[in-house]
Amino acid sequence: MGLLSSYRVLDLTDERGLLAGRMLADLGADVVQVEPLAGSRARHAAPLSDRDGQPYSYLWATFAANKRGLAVDLGCEAGRHVLRQLATQADFFVESLGPGAAASLGLGWPELSEINPALVYATITAFGHDGPKGGYAESDLIVWAAGGPLEPNRDGTRPPLRISVPQAFLNASADAAGGMLLAHHARTRDGRGQLVDVAAQACLGLNTLGRVLADPVGDAHPEWAALISPTARTDQSGSGTGTSSQLKKWRCKDGLVEFHLAIGQAAGPFTNNFFRWMHAEGAGPDLLRWDWRILPELVEREEFTEQDMQEVRAVTAAFLAAKTKNEILQAAIAYKLLCIGVSDTRDLADSPQLAERDFYVTLGSGRRAQTMPGRWATASIPAFELHRPAPQVGEHTDEVLAEWLGYDGQVREPLHEGRVIA
Amino acid sequence: MNRHDPENRHDPASGHDPENRHDRSLPLEGLKVADFSWVVAGPVVGRALADFGATVVRIESGTRIETARMMQPFYRGEAGRENSALYGDCNAGKYGLTLDLKTSEGRGVARDLVAWADVVAESYAPGQMAKWGLDYASIRTVNPSVVMLSTSLMGQTGPSARLAGYGNIGASVSGYQDLVGWPDQLPIGPFGPYTDYVGPRFSLVILLAALDHRRLTGEGCHIDIAQSEIGVFLLSPQLADYFDRGTVAQRRGNRDEQFAPHGVYPCLAENGRDRFVAIAACDDAQWRILAAELQRSDLAADPGLADAAGRLARADELDEALAAWTATQRAEDVQTRLQARGVPAHLAATSADWARDPQLAHRGNLRQLPSERFGAAFVEGPRYLLSETPGQVRRPAPMLGQDNEHVLRGLLGYDQARYDRVAASGALR
Repeated sequence: MGLLSSYRVLDLTDERGLLAGRMLADLGADVVQVEPLAGSRARHAAPLSDRDGQPYSYLWATFAANKRGLAVDLGCEAGRHVLRQLATQADFFVESLGPGAAASLGLGWPELSEINPALVYATITAFGHDGPKGGYAESDLIVWAAGGPLEPNRDGTRPPLRISVPQAFLNASADAAGGMLLAHHARTRDGRGQLVDVAAQACLGLNTLGRVLADPVGDAHPEWAALISPTARTDQSGSGTGTSSQLKKWRCKDGLVEFHLAIGQAAGPFTNNFFRWMHAEGAGPDLLRWDWRILPELVEREEFTEQDMQEVRAVTAAFLAAKTKNEILQAAIAYKLLCIGVSDTRDLADSPQLAERDFYVTLGSGRRAQTMPGRWATASIPAFELHRPAPQVGEHTDEVLAEWLGYDGQVREPLHEGRVIA
Repeated sequence: MNRHDPENRHDPASGHDPENRHDRSLPLEGLKVADFSWVVAGPVVGRALADFGATVVRIESGTRIETARMMQPFYRGEAGRENSALYGDCNAGKYGLTLDLKTSEGRGVARDLVAWADVVAESYAPGQMAKWGLDYASIRTVNPSVVMLSTSLMGQTGPSARLAGYGNIGASVSGYQDLVGWPDQLPIGPFGPYTDYVGPRFSLVILLAALDHRRLTGEGCHIDIAQSEIGVFLLSPQLADYFDRGTVAQRRGNRDEQFAPHGVYPCLAENGRDRFVAIAACDDAQWRILAAELQRSDLAADPGLADAAGRLARADELDEALAAWTATQRAEDVQTRLQARGVPAHLAATSADWARDPQLAHRGNLRQLPSERFGAAFVEGPRYLLSETPGQVRRPAPMLGQDNEHVLRGLLGYDQARYDRVAASGALR
């Protein structure tokens, strides 16, 4: 049993919203992924491979995992009738078909709440269903640009950079799942459902570390100060957010290292720890003479110069170049360092930490087996149910119609023959 | 019985009032939250709970100032522990209590708080809460049905559990530092502590699910969120691809795996500031319109560019053409012009753009609150618009110790003498 095992979810999302239902399914909800007879367009979303001569989307394979699949033609009234019947039995409904698309099928919130007033109905769009940009053409990059996290992420003179794995709609989908459960808690008080409206653009302010608020609050210089400048405001938070990103990257034996020479009372101690490690390894003993907690004061008293900084960086670079990511990890734990190898996909897959925590799971067997991230949290009571790979087109149509609606073979057969369901 | 029957509840602390059944109260009205978390990933969860009606007490040290208070942006650009808009955004709607957990009186207040609470949230290094006697096992003895959320970088268990770290470390151990950058340069990583942004979204979902489970069964639990795992979870397709075929995901600038052109292009500078516009041609039709807008009939007519594969192969050439075209225009003009033709485009929004974005305004995304200190405080609104029980940001984030007396006397029921005793002991610092 998972935490949400008593609930049913009707999921009409495509690649922009699959994650929301996956999260609820992982917590035990019975999530039925609805697709057109020809299959969801998410089955063609990158990264793409092929299995048995068919396109095989790793996005579909992972974010549609743990759901049951039902195929129905919503282009015909008979199909829409089936969908409306299913909606009467659902606790949650979620769609990402685009502004106005569900409404044009008669499957908007007003229509479905009419037949199921308890339904929690979530919609995920790029900008919203209406408003000045409601009709905007979109893609993940466009939403990322509009929502705030793109512009400040720039290093040097080239344009700002997004994350190479699209993230805008994933953030929005996770928010949709949260909104659905907030609406559910409202429903537990009075039995009534409601509309949960999530627009990806509006979700992304959180991904700027408050930066989007700089203008409203009157901070004209939110460009966090350079690494060391006694006159400029320095970033002493320890996160290194204000430091040129490439200054925080170092080469090590088997890849890259993230390490910020942090200063100030909060984060300076971690830098002191780093030089303690170097000292213990016999490297750069004289580097212990600076206390990075009070480095801004040392700079002010001219006891630490730009030349000292260059020297520190050179010694640090030489030291790290001879270390492996694993050696650095062990030191980070032993010495309390803010210094860590930059993981790539292979490192993530081989991570002893993730293995110890049973993070990965293989769903399906034989030709359908797929290993992927599984349980995304740990709980002291049974909370998760991870039990099936992403569905094939129409794989569970018959069983869902039987379980949810009591449709027997006699009812289903004409629907199959009429190409209403598959 | 209907699965969400309002009578089917075991939660004595819900504040449910049968007289008010048709006057929709906020979904979490009556829920009591002791929020020991700090910086971003934890506090954002409590903020969402407060928006939707919960009574949230944010506990922090008044002497070891928490990191978010020291972070920009600052009101009027002035650094100061009461001036951070980031702290304000993560903690609006909460009551503020300063507590010195190094004192036995302080820990006594903390024990009363965790006994009072339905939810305890914390984001200290694993093991720290136990040192204060505030770990789940201890809290459970005084509050058996408590739901406790621990959010940390690596999780509460495992060989790397004690790895210290801010978000840039989280972005490293979850794969993101490597996935942002130009292929010909060192990666630059995402803006800020990426796992702090994604972690709380998942924390909220499982916390609300656990509260529903408690409502139905009376059983509480301890939830362990590793922010790094949430980061990796959002790379699920790339991990599946690696397990299946050994593919190691690569940073690719602003390019897309399937579409081209797809990038961020320089426009005319405005007020001395570089400006950029993002443009994506997601199908052949959008490409044809884009090529026409560029007045590049040669590209439009080039059969080698008619499909995505051809355009991907010549992405360098297309990026150059687009950059040359955008360089002489204002970013907003490019956006307006292309959107009018149905081509995905948007300027790279600065804070000023964001604050006056008509679409975000339409959705009420920027909230202004009366503030004694600043006249007006600004926070982001809830990210989910609920039609019947919309979230409300009821007050700006607390100043240090602002609600000490209210929390101890009003919420915990201390009498005046007891409150005075605790305050005199120095525990409320």
